[in-house]
Amino acid sequence: MTIEFRDLHKSFGAQHVLRGLTMTIERGEVFFIIGTSGVGKSVTIKHLVGLLQPDSGEILVDGKPVHGLAEREYYPLRKRLGMVFQHSTLFDSLTVLDNVALPLRKHQRMRMSAAREAAKERLAVVQMERYADRWPAELSSGMRKRVAIARTLTLEPQYVLFDEPTTGLDPVSARRVDEMIKRLQTLDVTSVVVSHDLTSIFTIADRIAFIYQGQAHIIGTPEQLRAADDPIVQQFISGRSDGPMETPGF
Amino acid sequence: MSRTRDIRSADSPPAPPASAPDPQRVALLLRPPLLVGAAALGGARVARGIASLFAGTLLRAINRQSERGAVAEQMFNIGNRSLFFVAVTLGFIALVSVFQVCLQLNRVTGDLSKVGLELIKLMVHESAPSLTAMMLATRVGAGIAAEIGSMVVTEQVDALRMSGVDPVSYLILPRFLACLLMTPVLAVFAFGVALGSGTAMAYVAFGVNPSIFVDFSAVTAADVGIGVVKCFCFGAAIPVVSGYCGLTTFGGSEGVGAATTRAVINASLAVLALDLLLTVAGFMLFPPSAA
Ligand SMILES: Nc1ncnc2c1ncn2[C@@H]1O[C@H](COP(=O)(O)OP(=O)(O)OP(=O)(O)O)[C@@H](O)[C@H]1O
Ligand SMILES: [Mg+2]
Repeated sequence: MTIEFRDLHKSFGAQHVLRGLTMTIERGEVFFIIGTSGVGKSVTIKHLVGLLQPDSGEILVDGKPVHGLAEREYYPLRKRLGMVFQHSTLFDSLTVLDNVALPLRKHQRMRMSAAREAAKERLAVVQMERYADRWPAELSSGMRKRVAIARTLTLEPQYVLFDEPTTGLDPVSARRVDEMIKRLQTLDVTSVVVSHDLTSIFTIADRIAFIYQGQAHIIGTPEQLRAADDPIVQQFISGRSDGPMETPGF
Repeated sequence: MSRTRDIRSADSPPAPPASAPDPQRVALLLRPPLLVGAAALGGARVARGIASLFAGTLLRAINRQSERGAVAEQMFNIGNRSLFFVAVTLGFIALVSVFQVCLQLNRVTGDLSKVGLELIKLMVHESAPSLTAMMLATRVGAGIAAEIGSMVVTEQVDALRMSGVDPVSYLILPRFLACLLMTPVLAVFAFGVALGSGTAMAYVAFGVNPSIFVDFSAVTAADVGIGVVKCFCFGAAIPVVSGYCGLTTFGGSEGVGAATTRAVINASLAVLALDLLLTVAGFMLFPPSAA
C-alpha cells in the first residue's frame, strides 16, 4: 500500500517542470510536499489520478502502474484516491449539498435522496451543514475549501491528496483541518498534503518532501528537515527572501 | 548579438557564389507550404477530434447515459436563448426578401401570384432550417463553448472526472439531445414567423391577397423531408462542434473567449458545409423534374 514516483519527467511546452522526481509514500503516512510556488507540486499529485500524464517515468499505486491508462480505467482508482483541489473547484451549477452528493451518486451509484442524506452528514463534519442549499458562488473561499474537503471525503478514500487544504482558512479552521487529517490517519488513510503552512508542516507531517528544480531535493521527518544543513531548505523554512534558492521568474 | 546577425543577413544581397542555395532563402520559400501543411494538420486533428466526440456522444446516447432532467433544462435554455433572436432574424429576412422579390418581379412581369408559392417552397427545404441553424450556431454554440470552456479552465471538468463523472455524458450529451430536439421545433417556429411577416409585407406593400400568397401546392414531401433531415443534422452538429471547442479550451479567461469565437466560426461553417452537402444529396435523390 504505497505510492511510488520513479524518475518522473513532465514538460509543458519548453518548460521542464518535473525533472526526474523520485519518491515513495508509505501506507498510513501524512506525507507533505512542499516547495516554492510553481515548482510543480500540484502537477505532481495530478499525475496520481490520471489528470496529467508523465512524459517519462513511472507512477505506482499499490505496486500497479497508474500512468498511461485509458480514462475509463482511472474511475475505480479515483474512488480510492480522492483529491481536494487547490482552488476548491466546486461545481458552480450545483448547490453545496449536490456538490458533495455527486461523487456518491456517480462513483457509488447511490440514489439522489440517499446521497443527499450522506452528504448532509459529511457537511456537518466540516461545520457547513447550514449552507447546504447555498450556491458555491455565495460562499467565501474558506467555506468553499471546507465543502471541497467534505466532497472528497464522502467516498471514504484510502488515499487523500490535499492541495493546500489550509490556504485561505483562518487559523482555527486551519488547525481543525490538521486535526481532521490526523484523525483520518487513525482510520488508516494515507494523506498526501501539498502545503505552504509551516504550522501544519511541523505539527502533523510524518515525512516531508521538499521539491526543488523538479526533483525531491530532500525527504525526511520534520526534525530532519529542521536540522538539515542544506542552505536552500533552511532558506525555505525560515522564509528568507535572500539566499541561494533560485525562483525562476520572480 | 543574434539580432544584429539576423538584420545583416536579411539586408545583404545573397552570397555571390550561386551554386550553394542560401539556407535562409530556402527556409523563407518553404514557409508558405509549411504553414499550409501545419494548418491542414491542425484542421485534420480538429476534424478527428470532433468526429470522435460525435461518435462518443452517440454511443452514450444509445446507452442512455444522461442525467434525468438535464435534457429538459438544456432544451429550455436553448429555447429561451434563441426564440426571440430567431423570430426577429427570420421575420426581418422574410420581410426584406418578399419586398425585394416583388419589386424585381413588378419590373419584369408584374405577376406576383407565384411569389408566395416559390418562397414557401424555398423556405421549407432551405431557408427555415439553415437560417435557424445559423442563428443557433452563434447563439447556442457560443453559450455551450463559454460554459464548458470556463469549466475547463477553472478545473471543474477535472473535478468532475475525480467525482466519477464522465464529462461527455454530463456536459455534451444533454446539450446534444436538447439541440437535436429543439432545432426542428425552432425551425418550424421560424417558418411560421417568416410566413406571417412575408404575407404581411406582400399584402401591405404590393396588395397581394394572403389567400394567393399562402400557397403550399408547390411543397412536396421531398421538400419537407429534406428540411427535416437538415434540421436534425444541424441540430446534431452545433452542440458537438461547439462542445469540442469548449472542451479543448486552455489558458484562463482569454482562452474561454478564444474558444467561444472558435465555436461560433466552426459551428457556422459546419452548418454551411452540411447545408451544401444535404442540398446536393437532396437534389440527386429527388431531381426536380421528377417532382
Ligand atoms: N496545464 C498546464 N499547462 C501548462 N503549464 C502548466 C499546466 N499546469 C501547470 N503548468 C506549469 O507547471 C508549473 C508548476 O505548476 P504547479 O501548479 O504544479 O505549481 P505549484 O507547485 O502547485 O505552485 P503553487 O504553490 O503556486 O500552487 C507552473 O510553472 C505552471 O505554469
Ligand atoms: Mg499548486
